[in-house]
Amino acid sequence: MRLEDARFAAVDLETTGLDVRRDHIVAVAAVPMEGTRIRVGDAFYTTVRPEKYRLDGMKYHGIAANDLETAPTFEEIADRLWKLCDGILVGHCVHIDSQFLSRFFGKMGRSFQRPLVDIAELEKWIGRREGRARSAEELSLDALMIRYGLKEHFRHNALADAFFAAQIFQIQVIRNGIQTVEQLLGILKDQRVCNAHFLL
Amino acid sequence: MIPPKEFLRKIKPFSFLEDTRLNALVSGLDVVMYPPDTVICRQGEISPAVYLVFSGLVGLYDGEDVVDYVAKGEIFGLLSAIHQAPSYYEARTLEETICYSFDATTFAEVYRTHSAFASFFSAFVERRFRAFSRLAREGEGSEEASSLVEVGTLLSKAPVTCTADATVAEAVSLMERHKVGSVIVVDGTRPVGILTNRDIRRVLIHGERESPVREFMSAPPICLDRRSPVFDAYTQLLRTGIDHLIVVDGDRVAGVVTSKDILAQLEPSSSILALYRKVIKATDLQALQSAFRAIRLAVSEMALKGMHFYQLSRMITSVYDMVVVRIIEFLKDPEEKGDFLWIHLGSSGRKEQVITTDQDNAVILSPSGPQLELTQRINDALEQVGVPKCPAQYMASNPRWHLTLEEWKELFSRWFEEPTPDHIRYLTVFLDMRTVYGDAAPLEELLEHIHASATNQAVRFLAHDATLNEPPIGIFGIKHLDRGVNLKKFGIYPIANGVRVLALDHKLLHVTNTRERIEALRDMKALGQERAGDLLEAYAFLQDLRLRHQAHALKNGSAGDNLIRVEELDKMDLLVLKESLKITASFQKMLKARYGVERGL
Repeated sequence: MRLEDARFAAVDLETTGLDVRRDHIVAVAAVPMEGTRIRVGDAFYTTVRPEKYRLDGMKYHGIAANDLETAPTFEEIADRLWKLCDGILVGHCVHIDSQFLSRFFGKMGRSFQRPLVDIAELEKWIGRREGRARSAEELSLDALMIRYGLKEHFRHNALADAFFAAQIFQIQVIRNGIQTVEQLLGILKDQRVCNAHFLL
Repeated sequence: MIPPKEFLRKIKPFSFLEDTRLNALVSGLDVVMYPPDTVICRQGEISPAVYLVFSGLVGLYDGEDVVDYVAKGEIFGLLSAIHQAPSYYEARTLEETICYSFDATTFAEVYRTHSAFASFFSAFVERRFRAFSRLAREGEGSEEASSLVEVGTLLSKAPVTCTADATVAEAVSLMERHKVGSVIVVDGTRPVGILTNRDIRRVLIHGERESPVREFMSAPPICLDRRSPVFDAYTQLLRTGIDHLIVVDGDRVAGVVTSKDILAQLEPSSSILALYRKVIKATDLQALQSAFRAIRLAVSEMALKGMHFYQLSRMITSVYDMVVVRIIEFLKDPEEKGDFLWIHLGSSGRKEQVITTDQDNAVILSPSGPQLELTQRINDALEQVGVPKCPAQYMASNPRWHLTLEEWKELFSRWFEEPTPDHIRYLTVFLDMRTVYGDAAPLEELLEHIHASATNQAVRFLAHDATLNEPPIGIFGIKHLDRGVNLKKFGIYPIANGVRVLALDHKLLHVTNTRERIEALRDMKALGQERAGDLLEAYAFLQDLRLRHQAHALKNGSAGDNLIRVEELDKMDLLVLKESLKITASFQKMLKARYGVERGL
């Protein structure tokens, strides 16, 4: 399939930790893309109220506990999110986000499996191609933003991070002349970087 | 907040929008990236969206020619997208480019409902920057008492009013009876609209005598409290382009002030008029000298107050001319009036001298013979009064410019046949000739001779001369701005000289004023409507800027030059200056093409 005909969604979650089996989602952002066109107008962001979870004293990425008290639950946003994430998921270390989403959709009896494009892995391939392997630090989202000239902006809100992931992805594929989905997914097959320490 | 929204709300004119409108725009926003050399919109096609360049560079092409560059933070595709009209240009990326692409319908909706947002574009992006240059000047209100006078004091007549149900015929007869140009439409004492001469014109086309006023009045009316300073009324007039303002006291109608009332109050032209009368009544050189000095000061004052070049030059030319006429009358035997025709050249010939520089004059003699002694005394007297002699000796007492009609004709013929650099230089000065004193018939005859004897070769040399100094405009704006911009060399001269070439070519030399020449060329379709409009705006702006600059110098007692420095310009001025220089460069390009200058001389 031509890349321009494919649908993507750049996603970013904020969670209470990195344990995909126990931690909870507190915010979700998805920025849909048609081919390399970023549909800013259809971007979606919401905080999420974790069920059966002690909210006292919690503060993640600037989200205060009392903001979460009024937030919808995952079940309440699941339909909308499902529709937005109907294509290939894009993100920085998107495997982790994908696993969280699988677990939460799974609890509702839905099987969530999507092809994944990790922009860090894509960058690793670009580095090899250019004959200059990227270090783990060079693959962090901040470093990628600097590399692609997006650094003037405030980040660290799930929505901003998802948008920047979309933008980095857009630049990566256009600059490297990636034309089809098969080509893209083929490139990513053996570029696993996602367990790198910079995640923590 | 999503980063594109954060980006937009920091830049003009998106920063003018309140959150709901900005959200509306963002809801129709895509971020798109194009490799170099991608066509985003073809010439003649409707632009699929309104584009804002986020990074990179887009060229707008007319065929193969680049018409403009669109760089970071700038917009393209606007008119085509919101009017669903074919694009004048092809938009093609020159580098890898990221654009914010706005949905045309949403953009048009915001554009139509938010006037500040729209005026930014219509004023700036679409180059019709008249409103923009006005904005740039608006801040220069005079501190002088005249502008702080309350609007209420300008009211001289009781308000003429009618109700919205009155017929147009009734309203017009009220206007006739009270000799006013407008009727205020009221509900009780509260103004709900105004019917002006301008509205009556619409009645003639679309209405009838018995139509109710409500259908044709301008509403809601623009009202100003009677205690507001006149200066507010002035800026209101500039902003809205109307010429009748309703003055209210609370919510009661107090009367109407017209643009004439306001300008009369604001512009110390009254003092110029007084000085003009003084010139006419002067009986000796001393009186003229003192009047002339006062005029110069008054003129620079007015320039500093933001009075525009066109208004000022029109008014002042007749005053300066009168000074010359008075001197000639003092020195000349009244019986010999027909003896010579006194002519002004160069900027004075073009009626574009505001702060006088020096004498540029010549005479066409009658066959009775030379008047060297008399013209010498006139040149001396002018110097004494305060107009320095011309260092290049373009003066009536110089035997070279002291010729009979036949001699002048021969001279021009020679210049046209042998376009040496000297002769071209003479032509640029002497093709702007205007009668100041004497019977104008010989000059008209000379101009006919000039029109008939101009050679193609000389016209091309003149075109070449007008295109020699290209404005320092680069892709990213004005080059070497830190060193200042020579307004005369790169803006005023190229336009005045280029317009003169067209005037010569189209036998229009009897019109000497650059503005009038452009208008005449436009009316005979020798210049396109749009280009003529651009040139008029650019020329007015450059002249205004130079005038202000020189008025400052004069006030500080220094010699005025043409070099404008960045420190003197605010951001608006800079943008308009950049546009004006671009227009100059594009005009030069047109001249080169039209007269085959590129192919060599």
